[in-house]
Amino acid sequence: MTATFHFMNRTANRMRGVRLCLAVCLLALACVAFAQSAESDIPLEYAVKATYLYKLAPFIDWPPGAFASVDAPFPICVVGDDPFDGFLAHAVTGRTFGTHPFVVRRLDALTGDSDCRIAYIGRLHSQTIAQALAAVQGKPVLTVTDSDILADNGSIMQFVIEGGRVRFDVDNAAAARNHLSISSKLLNLAAVVKNNG
Amino acid sequence: MGCASRTQGKPATDSSKACTAGLVAAALLVCGTLRAQPSEQDLSKLSLEDLGKIVVTSVAKSPEPLSDAPAAVYVITHDLIMRSGATSLPDMLRLAPNLEVFQTGPSDYVITARGFSGNSAAQNFPDKLLVLIDGRSVYSPIFSGMYWDSQYVPPEDIERIEVISGPGGALWGANAVNGVINIITRKSSDTQGGLLEIGTGNALSDVLLQYGGRLGENAYYRVYARDFHQRSFEDSTGADAHDGWSNPQAGFRIDWQRGADAITLQGDGHSGNIGQPDASDLRIAESDLQASWQRQLQDGANFQVRTYYDDVRRWNDISGGGFSLHTFDLEAQHDFALGDLQHVTWGIGDRVYRYDITPRIGTANSLLWNPTSDIQNLANAFVQDQVSLGRRTTVTLGLKAEHDPYSGLSLMPSIRFAWKASDTALLWAAASRAFRAPTAFDESVIEEVGSEVFLTGNPDFRREQLTSLEAGFRNHWSDRARLSVSLYYNNYDDLKSIEFSPTVLPLLWGNGMEGHTYGVEAWGSYAIADWWRLSAGVAVLRQHLRFAPGSSGLLGVAQAGDDPEHQGFLRSTMNLSDRWTFFADLREVGALPDPHVPAYVELNAKLGWQVNDKVEVSLSGFNLLHAWHQEYVFPGSDRIGRSVFLDTRLRY
Repeated sequence: MTATFHFMNRTANRMRGVRLCLAVCLLALACVAFAQSAESDIPLEYAVKATYLYKLAPFIDWPPGAFASVDAPFPICVVGDDPFDGFLAHAVTGRTFGTHPFVVRRLDALTGDSDCRIAYIGRLHSQTIAQALAAVQGKPVLTVTDSDILADNGSIMQFVIEGGRVRFDVDNAAAARNHLSISSKLLNLAAVVKNNG
Repeated sequence: MGCASRTQGKPATDSSKACTAGLVAAALLVCGTLRAQPSEQDLSKLSLEDLGKIVVTSVAKSPEPLSDAPAAVYVITHDLIMRSGATSLPDMLRLAPNLEVFQTGPSDYVITARGFSGNSAAQNFPDKLLVLIDGRSVYSPIFSGMYWDSQYVPPEDIERIEVISGPGGALWGANAVNGVINIITRKSSDTQGGLLEIGTGNALSDVLLQYGGRLGENAYYRVYARDFHQRSFEDSTGADAHDGWSNPQAGFRIDWQRGADAITLQGDGHSGNIGQPDASDLRIAESDLQASWQRQLQDGANFQVRTYYDDVRRWNDISGGGFSLHTFDLEAQHDFALGDLQHVTWGIGDRVYRYDITPRIGTANSLLWNPTSDIQNLANAFVQDQVSLGRRTTVTLGLKAEHDPYSGLSLMPSIRFAWKASDTALLWAAASRAFRAPTAFDESVIEEVGSEVFLTGNPDFRREQLTSLEAGFRNHWSDRARLSVSLYYNNYDDLKSIEFSPTVLPLLWGNGMEGHTYGVEAWGSYAIADWWRLSAGVAVLRQHLRFAPGSSGLLGVAQAGDDPEHQGFLRSTMNLSDRWTFFADLREVGALPDPHVPAYVELNAKLGWQVNDKVEVSLSGFNLLHAWHQEYVFPGSDRIGRSVFLDTRLRY
């Protein structure tokens, strides 16, 4: 009995030491982390998404007439909140899709007049996702929604986070409505291929 | 961290100072060796395929995939598993707010959803969960319960665990009454390279060796082997329970993909020893082999065939009691769009299994079976139609027909509504039927006390039935905050009870209990900063069970389950830097009513250090607040003690 009590006392002392030490650990490390997070770039997740956006173009069969001229630009529109913070615009500088130089356009909303070949749709403030998608339906625009938007929203592609990696779902029916066909290579890489319409 | 061990043998204050100095130095070192983020040039050189392999997880973003499933689904992600330091499936399942997990010994757990944890003294076991590993059913059809000691998947290889509380009968079939646990392993292309993991602590020593490589142009593989020893716990009186165990396991997975076809071949085998307090070791062994073929058809349709063979044995060398179970399963599934508005999934499956039970015959009591051996067949067919009613509303109609060896054909329908209130919010509601099919334990068991037959199985035992109503809400705000709330009302009929035979003894299993349960499950998370996310979850349950007129009422309604009215957790996930992570999980489980088990609060924590690209060191602590606590009924379960675990992972 006495021995047990004595042992527990010693353990308790030791645990206090451990706790104090752990608390100090955390404090020190939290400070370091905080100082460091202040200077961080855009999250890696969005850098990867941005890279996807301009690398998708060759895997889409663009209909004749999608480009007004041989040297017409290839506009990638970022609709709504811009999570890329200049990363995308900087990355596509000097890059082309065939003879079409990439340009990045920032839009608050999609309309029938918006000149976009790829429209990345994040969080919108002045219209709903459905309105944005309806505005470009029937036009050769590849609509891509962010992984923060609920799935099956009617966009052609949607980023999804799977196992900590950025992947995407493809909706073939939505692509067909915009007169786009998606290469089998891209379909093979898709997490899910749907035909939801 | 070395600091915890360094305090030993020194006065606490001195060691704290030494530790502080050491830590500040370590922190500065970390500061100086920060990895730069991949630049746009790095990323632009990657193929689309390689872009999909970059791990981007940050704690502030998407801790779980955004699901539009109209059900109470909690997803335990790979990231959460790795951060938590959990090494066994039951410990991973503790991370789900919609499961009850009680540890009763080093290898033994009671796990259930929405009540009905059973009562082992009344021979009532948690038998209303379906557990799947890559689609392979792993609950035992002999009694519809789980042997958690026999299921292990290396944490590294788990993609995610979907925990669905509530009935899944229409899609998954019998036993998916109160919940489905769907364990999905990673493709072998995602686990390439070598991994050596060596961990040791006061409760567990564990070593895992894994290698993943390529087989030609289109295929990847991985192989792993693991051994561990988990030390004996203290029993309810504080004496050694002599229930330490080890269970070496090895396995593989091969994934082949070309064009629209994907084939997966996987298998595992283990053979272990579990110490028993007053008997010789229990021996457990299992081997499984599974093949699946998936083809993407035109227009987004998919076709899939899966088959597996599973061989389970449990026995005791001295008493000779035990059983073997051989299962062969074949199933096919097809999903396709029907017009613009409907998506149809349908499938058929058949499972044939043979059990051979060696009776346990003793002088005091014996456990016999009639028949001791049988070949049984479980056939099913299901169809599910997802109908879009406009952009925002979806109705899912499901029906599963199942034919089991004892109760014949049963039909499990469900209807589920989902309404997208906004681009980020989902409201859903569901009504479903589900059954727990009778088993050999219900129908064929014979229990003798001395030479007297005390209790027998009942050929008239019927399936246990559930009618469930559910509703839920999910939303996320500004991608930092998310919340999911689910409500349920479950009405049960024909629950298992103990009845008198016309001659009073032997007793018989019967279907004399009924009643309802209702409750709330809610969880959410909020990212305070890009490096810090807080999560919380709670489950509240009320059970109102009674005996039907004419029932004996023996042992009371408490035999159905000894479940807490509430449980919850608070969780902190931190990226202290891009090399240091810290995870803490404080959980509370309310008192169990009958037999009484006190409420408890416990804390798990893990500090992880990515030393470099090849080496990762972590220190985990489990149940840190008390020297020991009680999770389940005494005697018969152990004291659950504090434990620490130092783990080193080497990639090669």
